[in-house]
Amino acid sequence: MNEAPRPEIAVDGFPRRNRWGWMDFVTSADHKDVAKILMVGSGGFLFLAALELFLMRLQLAIPENTFLEPVTFNRVLSLYGATSIFFFVLPLVMGIFLFVAPLQVGARGTALPRLSQLGGALWVAGAAILYSGFLWTPSEAGVNPLPPLSELAFLSNNGVDTWLTACGFATLGFVLIAIDLATTLQVDRAPGMAWRRAPIFAWAASVGSWLMLFIGPVVLAAFTMLMIDRNYDGTFFIDGAGGAPLLWQHLTWIFYSGAYMLVLIFAFAAIAEIFPVFSGNELFNRTAVMASIVAIAVIGTLAYMQNMYTAPIGIGWKYFGMLMSLALIVPVGLVFYNLIATLNGGALRMRAPVLFSIGALVMISLGLAAEMQQSLVGAAFYLKNTTASTAATSFALIGGGIFGGFAALHYWFPKITGRAMGEQLGRLSFWVTAAGTLLAFVPLALAGWEQDQVVDAYKFFNHTGVNFYNLLASIGVLILLIGIVLILINAVASVKGGARAGHDPWGGDTLEWFTVSPPPVHNFDVQPDVRSARPLRDIRAAIAARAHEAEERAVRESQPVA
Amino acid sequence: MTPHSPGTGQINTLIWIGFFAALLVVVVINLGLFGAIRRNRAGRGRTATQSRGAVGLQWRVAGVLSGFAVLLFVLGIIFTSNATSTPQTTSAGLTSYHGEKLEGPLLIKATGQQWVWRYNYPNGSFSYYKLVIPAHTEIELKLTSTDVIHTWNVPDLAPKVEAVPGKDTKVYFRADAEGEFWGRASTLSGQAYASMRTAVEVVSPERFEEFTTELQKGIRAGNEGAEEIESEEVAELAEMEEDSAAESGESTGEGEGESNE
Repeated sequence: MNEAPRPEIAVDGFPRRNRWGWMDFVTSADHKDVAKILMVGSGGFLFLAALELFLMRLQLAIPENTFLEPVTFNRVLSLYGATSIFFFVLPLVMGIFLFVAPLQVGARGTALPRLSQLGGALWVAGAAILYSGFLWTPSEAGVNPLPPLSELAFLSNNGVDTWLTACGFATLGFVLIAIDLATTLQVDRAPGMAWRRAPIFAWAASVGSWLMLFIGPVVLAAFTMLMIDRNYDGTFFIDGAGGAPLLWQHLTWIFYSGAYMLVLIFAFAAIAEIFPVFSGNELFNRTAVMASIVAIAVIGTLAYMQNMYTAPIGIGWKYFGMLMSLALIVPVGLVFYNLIATLNGGALRMRAPVLFSIGALVMISLGLAAEMQQSLVGAAFYLKNTTASTAATSFALIGGGIFGGFAALHYWFPKITGRAMGEQLGRLSFWVTAAGTLLAFVPLALAGWEQDQVVDAYKFFNHTGVNFYNLLASIGVLILLIGIVLILINAVASVKGGARAGHDPWGGDTLEWFTVSPPPVHNFDVQPDVRSARPLRDIRAAIAARAHEAEERAVRESQPVA
Repeated sequence: MTPHSPGTGQINTLIWIGFFAALLVVVVINLGLFGAIRRNRAGRGRTATQSRGAVGLQWRVAGVLSGFAVLLFVLGIIFTSNATSTPQTTSAGLTSYHGEKLEGPLLIKATGQQWVWRYNYPNGSFSYYKLVIPAHTEIELKLTSTDVIHTWNVPDLAPKVEAVPGKDTKVYFRADAEGEFWGRASTLSGQAYASMRTAVEVVSPERFEEFTTELQKGIRAGNEGAEEIESEEVAELAEMEEDSAAESGESTGEGEGESNE
């Protein structure tokens, strides 16, 4: 029964491409190689983002600190915003989607590999532009460079231009990868794999890719318009010349809200793969989870006006934003319900992927509950742009990006590298990261709520009742940084030094565990017929039945003929 | 926050409603999650028993969640519309100004500039940094900005509002207690953003009339305002702004003079 199905692959006889070594890797259009570039890169940028956050928290550890100049603080802040969104969380999500989803549907490659390759290259170029730009003139315009502040009249050096170019290249890369991924998942699924039998993570990858196809171009338009404003005398965001500063908020919040939802559906779907495998259960009500993932993507993006409650737009639009935000309670609640119900009656093995999944659910529940509070228009009249709102978003995105992301990475690491990530260090890094996150953002939430501590400020004043909260938060971010470093050390060390995992270390039910680890260039020699949502379990059952039959035959044939 | 106006009282109540709703969500989810984990750990030869979701159950869960969402939505609308409704001037408030009967709200214009607020009073006088208003009186604060987006944010008295160049945003509130209230700008507006604070001094109607009259008599408002500022850089900025006050209307830069070479 528990015998692992043998992958029907003869790797030894297949020509490996080793002629060029590294060149071979970086010029590869294979979805797995492009995804590896994205994942490795996002690991590095996670460290940088955490370091930048720590620098800012160091400045904010004590009141009226002078550790960072105001300008330097704004530069680090702008860099942190771009790094954490465009160069950590989105490439991690797109990278894992791009690596895993085609394997899960039994595809031998992606449908439009050159698009993914170009996308990966654009992302690398964007990262290079952002950090080489940082060396001379970084942006000072903040996490979301709102015009008019980001216009030439107020920030005349080319920092904003490099920021826009870098993030624009990265976004264009994601859009190209999304085109490839959406196409692949639509046309290259294994025979018999209707969507109702497709793995939930592949479904989320498809939904997420379509989402990126809608939101990516919107923010690219905004970036382009601001570039035209800054460099070619445009007036898109300049008041009094036919433009409107508010337009920027609409366009970028559509993207940021959609990206937020992308991270959430990625994390939910990864957990929906992990929980069934580690508890030996089937995902509780797949159909509802699949529908909820689509609903989260659509409704969550429509809820973008939740970010504009204090902007001069009609109160009706604010109520619409509130309606959409609160409507999210239904699909998100259903996902939580079904994930928890999946555990019921199972036998949960507490391995690192499960630990990170649980952490992700706890952090996301904290973050989204606080977002729910702040989606009430009147409540946001006070809480918006306080550290309470940063804390809510950080909980949800750290829950989805770091905990969900590393749950997924722990889970698929054996498939990606052929070796498992260290379990002990995995556990340690989990507890350190979880403690750091709570210690960093609970005090900030309190400081924002009780004392109206505002976001993005390079200093806070003494005697405003927030000294202790800020000190705690800074210590928390230090612990978070240590936790992240531990996770990264674990990942790097496990690439060469991890325990050999074999092709199916967890007893998975989906097709990516059918091929060898790491998968060969063409993924599968044989595409199996898919008859259910758990094809590998069917194969295991078939092997067991065949073995049983052979045993019976052996017994029968050894009987003396009467 | 300690609410000192009818609107912020509503806001505060709504925040607490939202907090208890959030607390309920967090507690239910995490009790369910950790309960399920505790009951279903592997070990002692435990084997998984398949459980499949029933569609009917999903509809019931979705129904409960929808009810919760609708309840929050209705409460949100009720308290938000209360918070944004225009509060009437009471009999203790400013009922006549400079001998004229005051109909409707007292109109004050607030202009955000990098990195100080300028307040224009109905009699033509103005002050920087500090706004003086009469207690128990409905204030219509008309906000705009001459450069970048600033958020006017005095949490004890009024909802926070963005001052966007080219837009006139109105916020209505009534202060019910005399005293001084602090505010901090809360949208990143450049280098001295963290120091861009404001104060609202709520005084009796008589004192308000005296104050604005004195202002009008040629006491330069900027100087008086600037004395209150703890941070020196803001004081300097206020003086600079005062010097260029006449030109401030034109400072909506279009970047014509600068080029990006």
